[in-house]
Amino acid sequence: MTATAVPTTEVEEEVVPHSPVVHADERISHRGPMQRWLISPEIGALIGAVIVWIFFWGNARTFGQANSTLNWLDVAAPTGIMATAVALLMIGGEFDLSSGVITGGTAVVIGLMSRTFMGTGMNIGWAIGAAFLLAAAVGWFNGWMVNRTGLPSFIVTLGTFFAVRGMIVVMAQRLVGKVQVDSILKQRGAEGFKNWIAHEWQFKEFSGRDPLFLGLVIGGGAAFLYGLLDQSFIRRVGLNGKAALVTALGVVATVVGFTGLLKTDGVSNNLVYGIIGCAGLITVMVALGLTRWQARSDRGEATTGMPRSVATNVGLGAAGIVLACVTHIPFDRHQRLPVLTWTSDSLRPIIAVIAALAGIFLAVRAMLPALRGNWKAFGIVKLVLLSAYSGLLMMCGVLAFLQLTTVQGLRAIAMLVLAGGGVVLMLAARGQAGKTSRRAQLLIGTLASISIVVLAIVVRADSAAPRFRTGMFSAMILGAVIIMANTLLEYVMIKRREADPKADTFGRRLQVIGAGAAITGLIIRNVFTNLTPAHAAAVKAAGGTVGQNVLRETVVWWVLVAGIGAFVLAKSKYGNWIFAVGGNRDAARAIGVPAGNVKISLFVTVSLCGCLAGTLIALRYGTVQANQGIGLEFEYIIAAVVGGCLMTGGYGSVIGASLGAIIMAVSTNGVQSTGWNSDGRFIFLGGVLLLAVLVNNYTRKKAQEAR
Amino acid sequence: MNQPMEQQPATEHSLLELRHICKYFGNVTALEDITTRVEAGKVTCVLGDNGAGKSTFIKILSGVHQPTSGEYTMYGTPVEFQSPRDARAAGIAAVFQDLALAPLMSVWRNFFLGVEPMRFGMLMRTGFMKKTAKEEMAKMGIDVRDIDQPVGTMSGGERQSVAIARAVYFGARVLILDEPTSALGVKQSGVVLKYTRAAAERGLGVIFITHNPNHAYPVGDRFLLLNRGHSLGDFAKEEISQTELTRLMAGGAELEQLEHEIGVR
Repeated sequence: MTATAVPTTEVEEEVVPHSPVVHADERISHRGPMQRWLISPEIGALIGAVIVWIFFWGNARTFGQANSTLNWLDVAAPTGIMATAVALLMIGGEFDLSSGVITGGTAVVIGLMSRTFMGTGMNIGWAIGAAFLLAAAVGWFNGWMVNRTGLPSFIVTLGTFFAVRGMIVVMAQRLVGKVQVDSILKQRGAEGFKNWIAHEWQFKEFSGRDPLFLGLVIGGGAAFLYGLLDQSFIRRVGLNGKAALVTALGVVATVVGFTGLLKTDGVSNNLVYGIIGCAGLITVMVALGLTRWQARSDRGEATTGMPRSVATNVGLGAAGIVLACVTHIPFDRHQRLPVLTWTSDSLRPIIAVIAALAGIFLAVRAMLPALRGNWKAFGIVKLVLLSAYSGLLMMCGVLAFLQLTTVQGLRAIAMLVLAGGGVVLMLAARGQAGKTSRRAQLLIGTLASISIVVLAIVVRADSAAPRFRTGMFSAMILGAVIIMANTLLEYVMIKRREADPKADTFGRRLQVIGAGAAITGLIIRNVFTNLTPAHAAAVKAAGGTVGQNVLRETVVWWVLVAGIGAFVLAKSKYGNWIFAVGGNRDAARAIGVPAGNVKISLFVTVSLCGCLAGTLIALRYGTVQANQGIGLEFEYIIAAVVGGCLMTGGYGSVIGASLGAIIMAVSTNGVQSTGWNSDGRFIFLGGVLLLAVLVNNYTRKKAQEAR
Repeated sequence: MNQPMEQQPATEHSLLELRHICKYFGNVTALEDITTRVEAGKVTCVLGDNGAGKSTFIKILSGVHQPTSGEYTMYGTPVEFQSPRDARAAGIAAVFQDLALAPLMSVWRNFFLGVEPMRFGMLMRTGFMKKTAKEEMAKMGIDVRDIDQPVGTMSGGERQSVAIARAVYFGARVLILDEPTSALGVKQSGVVLKYTRAAAERGLGVIFITHNPNHAYPVGDRFLLLNRGHSLGDFAKEEISQTELTRLMAGGAELEQLEHEIGVR
């Protein structure tokens, strides 16, 4: 744009020095690092993935072993590859319903060409190349049609979907006489290609696991903490010597406590060392804060003017936690009977009646305001009919639920809901109290962490699943320690409300590195467990299988594709254009972004990724059904949506889409390892899907709030 | 065009000059005999009621339409824009109400959209982009605390000013603001007027389209009044008072008649 229509002459540097009238809006407050992280698009999928994983980890013995992890990673990989591309397309504002059939279709094409091309078949390498070209053409056609006609991509790609599907089946029947293409791996070049792009690595136990885990988690945790402190608080001039000394003492106490915990056995010793370790950890966190950042000079103020909801929330929270602690009294943890069978005969009708009344009450309450002062016969009839219907529905629902749930299950659910709700309410009250009185915040924060400790002890004493019990106990104690330290820090430190670019950047980097290291450590620890020989024997005796540790190259491809996708979206010009084309196409075009080309290239990307997945499938199994991949397009779209992509475009994340793929694979694999009905995974999937989308919706609203 | 373009020096010619511009669409007279000019560092307001021809006027200015007859010169040189792209290349940037930003994208991504500065041809220089966007917004008088915030979270006035700051940074010499205050509240309109003035003070010629004389008068240096495609006059600020402007805008005698009818005062 240097060619101008007017002659350019000497430049005058006298641009009026504009006074930078910085009008700060007093309503805007600085958004802390934690908040920023919590409003990223991936958060829903991340929470979902963690919940699903923990759930199955607690419930299935084989889950979390190296081989089962590698197994579900392998299941997730093709979905992950496709979800990456579909997420990019969705951010660009379009859908591709032909993405599923492309994966299967290209696999069939590869099989057919390598078997029957010119009667004798061709080297599979050429077949793969041809499949990629074909896929690119289909993608280009989709994009071109959408651009050219302006029709919704739903319709256009639905057309492609049917056409491709039909062609694949017809071709398969013509050329090999059935709707299945097999013995692909026997064709020329197939073995070589399999070694090259669909390699399988087998390996034994990983012995350096525990030291690596400890190092990564401790180092990462420390880096994360330091980064968080730097981003949240105001740096002080010079170091605080006394606090540094206290920090050192805290480190000593932590080390002594936790080594003691590892070395000794017996309840009283464990308790002593545990308390020393936890107290040390809290001391380290708080004293570290005092070492480098500014402390307050005042010490709290009177607890006046607190919102009423604080007291309500604390009360409700405490009640929930107390109830959660006593759920084990009425319900026996070994009782596997359905709840309805377990209850006495006289109780059942009472439950039914109460449920029906609740249903009627809800319906009446919902409808009454509209009817009040406007009593007409029709309205009354409607009220009666609908409330009867609602009562019936409620009764059936409750009875069905109680019939399907075991006593054990009901107990777990009740405990989870009560305890979780109680803690959440307490923490909410802590936040509310913090706005008016720091002293009340300190008090409520302490109460919350103590209740978590109590709950942790109850869980440990009470849960039937041994692995869940210990894991949950440690996690909860750690959570209580962190909440306590955080509460103390907020009490003694001054929160930074201004952006400080240097500290912000440094803090963010440290946090990312630290969190990455700690999470890697956790994953390594939990993923690479191998069965002990005794354990393996037990699994075999129970009819389970102990698999090999096989890492398939599909997973490598997935990591590669997702990495490239994330990089392109975040760091390249093209990523910027994708966001713009999906967010406001006209604006993008008006400003000079080649919107049409961006869309076409996105459709081509989806097709090429589909072909990659198809190739890997063909080389993996050697046999492909002609209807392979049909219906999978919805899985890809769901993975992308769970991962935080907005259906209308312009917002989303590639990493989130991969997490969405993990959620699906984990729930499929997890349901298998628990030995439940494999269709039960859909119940699970539905629940997680709704949860993740709700979280995403909420975070997106938060992200878009004025600040 | 990654470097901001320099401003033109003052010459004897106006930055933009339009003489006897006419535009017909078939039998329909959209504009007839419009004459005005735009000086660097000055704000020219184009006022008119709905259907007065304001849109046609800016479309001619920004190269969407070509005038049927009349002279369109830039620094005294006649120009003919075949497309908005030509006009942009010449440094004429139009900022439309909504047609400028992707609301879910962050401020810095929007700021550099389409002209991303790159490193090694593939990496966006995100640090530079964030810093520059923040600085340029500060020059407009807006302190963007979080440059990562989506543009959609900003107020209407601030959004307008992102678009203005972007146009200024990328070397616009003429800024066309299409009804920037029409959808805004009183305070927000004030903010936008301030930025309009700020842009002019940085040496740009600004064309401010509005139907609100109360917004136009405080910022304007020159006023072009349109009514049904005809010019009601082209005044410098010292030639016309705000009351007179309002009166002319509302159709003079018609307004008095209206006030009489509905019993104002």
